[in-house]
Amino acid sequence: MPLDFARSAPLSMGVELELMVLNTHDHNLVRGAPDLLARLEKVELQGEVKPEITESMIEVNSSVNHTYEELLAELVHVRDAIVVAAGRLNVEVAGGGSHPFHKWTERRIFPAERFQRVSALYGYLAKQFTVFGQHIHVGVESGDDAVYLTHHLAPLIPHFIALSASSPFSQGEDTSFETSRLHAVSAFPLSGQLPAVSTWEEFGRYFDEMKGYGIVASMKDFYWDIRPKPEYGTIEIRVCDTPLTVELAAQLAAYAQTLAAELLRNRRSVPVEPVYRVYNYNRFQASRFGFDGQLVDPFRSRHVRLREDILETLERLTPFAAELGTVKPLMSLAALAAREENDSRWLRACHEKTGSLPDVVRMQAQRWRTEPPPA
Amino acid sequence: MNTDFLPDWPFAVSYPLLFGALLLGGLLGGEAARLARLPRILGYVAVGFAIAPLARAANLDPLLDQARIFVDLALGLVLFDLGRRMDLQWMKRDWSLAAAGLAESLLAYFAVFACLLALDYSAVKAGIVASISMATSPAVVLLLVQDTRAEGQVTERALNLVALNSLLASILTTIMLTSAHLESRVEPEMAILHPAYLFAGSLLLGWLAASTARVCARAVGKTKELHFTLIAAVVVAAVGLAALLKLSVILALLAFGLFTRNDARNYDLLTVNLAPASRLLYIVLFVITGASLPPEALVSGGAVGLALAAARAAGKFAGVLAFGSLGGLRIRQSGGLALTLLPMSTLALMLHHAVARQYPAFAAEIGAAFLSMILVMEVVGPLAVQWGLRMAGETAPELSATGRHPARSDLAEEG
Repeated sequence: MPLDFARSAPLSMGVELELMVLNTHDHNLVRGAPDLLARLEKVELQGEVKPEITESMIEVNSSVNHTYEELLAELVHVRDAIVVAAGRLNVEVAGGGSHPFHKWTERRIFPAERFQRVSALYGYLAKQFTVFGQHIHVGVESGDDAVYLTHHLAPLIPHFIALSASSPFSQGEDTSFETSRLHAVSAFPLSGQLPAVSTWEEFGRYFDEMKGYGIVASMKDFYWDIRPKPEYGTIEIRVCDTPLTVELAAQLAAYAQTLAAELLRNRRSVPVEPVYRVYNYNRFQASRFGFDGQLVDPFRSRHVRLREDILETLERLTPFAAELGTVKPLMSLAALAAREENDSRWLRACHEKTGSLPDVVRMQAQRWRTEPPPA
Repeated sequence: MNTDFLPDWPFAVSYPLLFGALLLGGLLGGEAARLARLPRILGYVAVGFAIAPLARAANLDPLLDQARIFVDLALGLVLFDLGRRMDLQWMKRDWSLAAAGLAESLLAYFAVFACLLALDYSAVKAGIVASISMATSPAVVLLLVQDTRAEGQVTERALNLVALNSLLASILTTIMLTSAHLESRVEPEMAILHPAYLFAGSLLLGWLAASTARVCARAVGKTKELHFTLIAAVVVAAVGLAALLKLSVILALLAFGLFTRNDARNYDLLTVNLAPASRLLYIVLFVITGASLPPEALVSGGAVGLALAAARAAGKFAGVLAFGSLGGLRIRQSGGLALTLLPMSTLALMLHHAVARQYPAFAAEIGAAFLSMILVMEVVGPLAVQWGLRMAGETAPELSATGRHPARSDLAEEG
């Protein structure tokens, strides 16, 4: 049976944000999701707030938005609702790709059939997977466009890694990586990238083959960094750590939207194989060194510093940003890249100042609550 | 022949021997209870019941007085830990929590008070028993929360309510002692001065301990190990100072915890987990408590004791259920929360002893009934807490062997 690709408004966008639920006395993760979700059910929200695999996580799903301003307004609204509900329950909620010091053995799998099944199959990998990511969806017209965009956004994946990195600490240690979260993803057998297919029909044949082997049942089973999402009619970028603020989350979505617009207008015809040959190396450079990473450009046989690559790309996008109303968020991202600032750097600075990881988490939760909208 | 090298007969029991024996006995009792799927605390207390005759034979009766230092240290740690979990900010954000705390304390007070008046006890004695009855055993609740690894709204609320009712109970008992002083015709100045000294002095000591801990925390490195030692040192010293200055250990240590938590502007002191080390003391605490509760009290005061326990439980349930839904709790959660507030143990026993020392008529007239209430709740309480936390769905699932693995599965979204 061919895999149906739902139609959606081109360049519409939405985000999913996985958030940590914390106690207020030592700022460890706490089993707070069930009570928090029950309380949020009574609040009128545009999108959705859902359970995730462990009872210390919640997931915010935005509705489908067409502009950056709409998306930002919605995320601010949801964040404020979560802050109020959490306050009444004496729990805190925070962004960040990993909890700096929780012990994965202490996590409890959310009592829903789907999560229990994942836990039974993957054992400790499922609990170690208590990491928090942002997924960005961008709407496309067809499955062919989804395949095209997935391939041509792949070389830009390191940008999203460096800009969103917010998980320098894991299990009580400084990992020396800008993002430690991506390793938790790599451990799964179905992580990786889209195979080198060029049309949706070709992808359908690949999918049927994998399904025939009994390896996958749906697209959800592919834990790829970027993948087509036929149910929504979107492509989904899944490498971002959840940023410390909803403002950065919205800016990253705006970046993805503008990139997609440019790639769809100025269609590329370069082969995809060289990109995938250097893909894992570039991904490592971005996760380990952030803006300082050295990317391999396979078409020009040279290294380029990630910071410079981001700044050049943002420059190139200027006319498209003007069309889409994303000039402001892209300027904010350019400023971050220019100053080589990301959330990981902020978290490390907090640690430097306070000398304690519980204090880092406390400040992380504070930042999530009180960050004023960008001027 | 000179036999000086041999030990003296009869043996004099030393503190290390006593501590070791109580700890070992309690440990084994606790694990036996665990095998029977009962709370470990019941095992500790049962060992206490069993050794009470032995302690009497070894001339260690009452054990509570002999081993008072261990009890004070254990209770000191418990109360500090509890005070640290009490969050005044939360009570400000969610007034229904503070309201539930006041309601369950006061309703338990009035229920017990009315029950005793109906049984023809004097108002002063009824007032003292009622005020002690407000308190829930912090040690039982804390230990069961640890043992069941409970986490969630009911757990958090239970800890805050226990802190609140322990605080109210010790303040009110101190005030009630004033009327007891008046009834036993002590000079009126004493009747005011003594409670005032206890109250103000204990709060001041708590504040001093918190400040000392904060100042020292700034001086030492910010690691869990160092801060653990620091807290243990200040807790022990504060217990010693409270005893030296004849202040209330309960009030002083609760205040210490509370000041540490709620005056944390600079976050100097880390929130360290005291559980592993304090368990040593907790075990001894419960064994001694068990050994100090005279089973013969059940004979003379059992019926009244049961009536008091029932009245107290009714008061606590009414108070919690009245405000539960306002705090967003489902009925199951409210019921679970009320159950966690039932235990009575060492805290009540210590308050009882403090009163009995200053006011012998109290012990003679009402002691048996009161002790049998504590005795009943010492056994029922831990079961109620375990049941309550389980009912609320907040205990950790028992660790089981790896389950069956599905060959494959359509998997979850991940992040």
